[in-house]
Amino acid sequence: MTPRPARARATLRLAQIEAALLTRSILVLAGLVVSGILVWFSTYRGQPLWWNDAWVIGYGQTVISLTVLIAAQLATARVRRDGLAELYKSFPSSVGRRTLAHLIGVLGAALGCLVLIGAATSVFELRDAVGTPDLTVLTGGVVLVLAGGAIGVAIGTRFPHPLAGVLGAFVWFIPFSQSNRFNSAIVWLFPWVKPPQLSQLPGPLSGYPPALAHTVELAAIAALAGTVALAISADARRPRVALLGGAAAALAAIVVACAVQLQPIPTRDLDHLVGEAANTGSAQHCATPAATPASVRYCLYPGFGSRLSSLQGPVNAVLAQIPDQRTRTLTISQTSGLTLDDPTLTHGHSPQQVTAWTTQLANAPANLPSSSAIYVNLGTWPAQGQANVRFDLALATADWAVGLPTNVGARTSLQSNRCMPLEQARDAIAIWLTSQATHAKLTLLRNTTRSVSGYMPVQVDGVTVLAWVYPGQDATVVTLGTQTTAAGYLLATAMATLPTQRVAAVLAAGWDTWTSGLATGTQLAAALGITMPAVPTGLVGPGGRTITPQPGTVPSQPQCPT
Amino acid sequence: MGELTMNETTWAAGSAAIRVDGLSRCYGDIRALDAVDLTLDRGITGLLGPNGAGKTTLLSILATVNEPDAGNVSIFGLNPKDQAERVQIRRRLGFLPQELGYHRHFTVAGFLDYVAILKEIVDHRRRAEEVARVLAAVGMERFGRRRIRSLSGGFRQRLAIAQALLGSPQLLILDEPTAGLDTEQRLRFRELLSNLPDDPVIVLSTHQVDDIAAICPKVVVVLDGRIPFTGTPAALADTAAGHVWTAEQRDPRARMSWRDGENRWRHIGEHRPADYQSATPTLEDGYLLLSHAARTR
Repeated sequence: MTPRPARARATLRLAQIEAALLTRSILVLAGLVVSGILVWFSTYRGQPLWWNDAWVIGYGQTVISLTVLIAAQLATARVRRDGLAELYKSFPSSVGRRTLAHLIGVLGAALGCLVLIGAATSVFELRDAVGTPDLTVLTGGVVLVLAGGAIGVAIGTRFPHPLAGVLGAFVWFIPFSQSNRFNSAIVWLFPWVKPPQLSQLPGPLSGYPPALAHTVELAAIAALAGTVALAISADARRPRVALLGGAAAALAAIVVACAVQLQPIPTRDLDHLVGEAANTGSAQHCATPAATPASVRYCLYPGFGSRLSSLQGPVNAVLAQIPDQRTRTLTISQTSGLTLDDPTLTHGHSPQQVTAWTTQLANAPANLPSSSAIYVNLGTWPAQGQANVRFDLALATADWAVGLPTNVGARTSLQSNRCMPLEQARDAIAIWLTSQATHAKLTLLRNTTRSVSGYMPVQVDGVTVLAWVYPGQDATVVTLGTQTTAAGYLLATAMATLPTQRVAAVLAAGWDTWTSGLATGTQLAAALGITMPAVPTGLVGPGGRTITPQPGTVPSQPQCPT
Repeated sequence: MGELTMNETTWAAGSAAIRVDGLSRCYGDIRALDAVDLTLDRGITGLLGPNGAGKTTLLSILATVNEPDAGNVSIFGLNPKDQAERVQIRRRLGFLPQELGYHRHFTVAGFLDYVAILKEIVDHRRRAEEVARVLAAVGMERFGRRRIRSLSGGFRQRLAIAQALLGSPQLLILDEPTAGLDTEQRLRFRELLSNLPDDPVIVLSTHQVDDIAAICPKVVVVLDGRIPFTGTPAALADTAAGHVWTAEQRDPRARMSWRDGENRWRHIGEHRPADYQSATPTLEDGYLLLSHAARTR
């Protein structure tokens, strides 16, 4: 007889070949590329946070899981599909051993996953990701792919038609696509979901998502599919019974893993999270770097300390242009957009408890009006299109410098709460300071003002005026403060054409006057020796057509207090 | 390919390599094999019979890929009904089914390597040598890196023969191996089978009577699931002695008639005319007469 080790070696050698074929499969390679693109588009806009992005890598691997399923089904059914079943039956290596080789060969797809994980990790680390990658989550993504492969093998042992794999992938995809229909913790039981609040967490939260139990669930699904495949292809009753026993054990593991995933997140963990998000207690580390013309206090969540210098850049550049402001303190603090309307976060807790947490979040400093604090949204700094977001932060700093509100302080109806500094010279000064600090060419920004999106009609005290929508405004890096006006923008643009020293000298000579809110743009223009630019009476749309805003369609915003 | 078992030791002491007793196999209402008895020894045995006679069913049972409804089979003293012994048989088997597909994306050498692993040739060097050996045997030494899909039908058939030769099997079952081969390749195939080392048991099913006449010391005729003749090709030809004649004109009483190379009519039949010119019967004549007799029975 051929010794058992030799038979095992034959099976392993077959598995190696199947793994190599799977790795080189066009389907798997295409899945790998699409997964990479999916991960990139899901993460490039925000700041890399490992507790979110490790899960996103797994989310991207959904595509590989589907393509590996199809490729594994095609490989397993290859013998029957190619009309070689009779020949293969005559070989001493049984169908069961070949199935086992296909199952082991699915590990070849893990290589592709490791390439994806390696590439994503490199990119995230180059972008200075916060936190450390959670190996359990990354392993879960790989197991997701292996589960897809095992299901493909199980389908292939029974159904040789090529469309069987496609149908199987479709069925495997349904849970991914339909998970949004369920608004409860049950979504954790689906193969992979992207938790909506994950990017809003100041740090990893145990149980959100329940990574370990989920990885066990996926592994058990893979084991179940594998044992079913082996049971189908076993040519004797005894191993088949043993394999069905294994399948029952895998089923039991799935049930236990699901039960664990449905457990609520402990109250003390959510207490801590809400406390962090509401920025109470010592949730953030604060520092006040010296050697700036104003006292600036930076408060960052633990782990975000390395972001300090990138925040200081645009802030200091603005402060360097203004007279000494050491008597005032500007606070720049991170804030979380966490909301508790996500039942996957709060399931299992009483409505009273959830209400208490919601109230705590509503009373967070970031939700209160302020003229001395700028709130940087978590996970958005630094981000793609940095020039825009730097402009956003610099403008908020300039608003603080000229005494304008820096935070409207409400989570709802934000736009309508933003005040407009109508007929106030400090509006143009803030924009000019920002352009000087960021070296943004306001004349270039003028191009955007030629379109409808460049200006926005707003009603202030019953009068329709135009607000200026600057390019970085939509980046939502900084919580909303003052709404810039078209008049302020046009005056700042005119100021930018003058020698910097001349403008700076005029401003320094009467800083308190110009920033009081009582001085008008026309007065500032006169002091600078220029004419106040005319403000358009309507919106200029594409093709130069003038659009007049219809009454009742224009939002109302308050005037900024002087 | 491995150690001898007790059964094989017993078989090696004597008796037939393959023994078939009362073998029957039905597909629905069709009786493909009907209580077939057969013994086969080392050397080449040719299997002759019309389409649907039961040859392929018999070969697939001998190759352990099909199971009989009744009867017993013993191959090298091993019983294919027993799972462990069936595996033992398969380790000594080279099989070429009648209609063999192919893996489009595999290379020639890659496919043979894959099959060699399935035949449990685990040592890498030995496997490489085996692949090279069988490729040389079928004249495809330079085709190792070619994709199978790019091969012509004849070369695919050669590849199919090559896979059967992997591992130098003691039992070689070939179902119409020369289908699709040109004349030169058929002759090379005869040469190949004649030169196989260790004198394996070879069962060759073919419609090419020439091939059987050329290389088979034993011929088995399968008709309607039965075996009406087992013997040498000469003995099969002899069964037609006195039933083959030539004449200037076509004889309507003959079972079969055709013009020969000398433009004379060659007749086969039971009723010889008085003015006949007797002809030396061939294997083909014997087979045709036998199959005709079976049909009219």
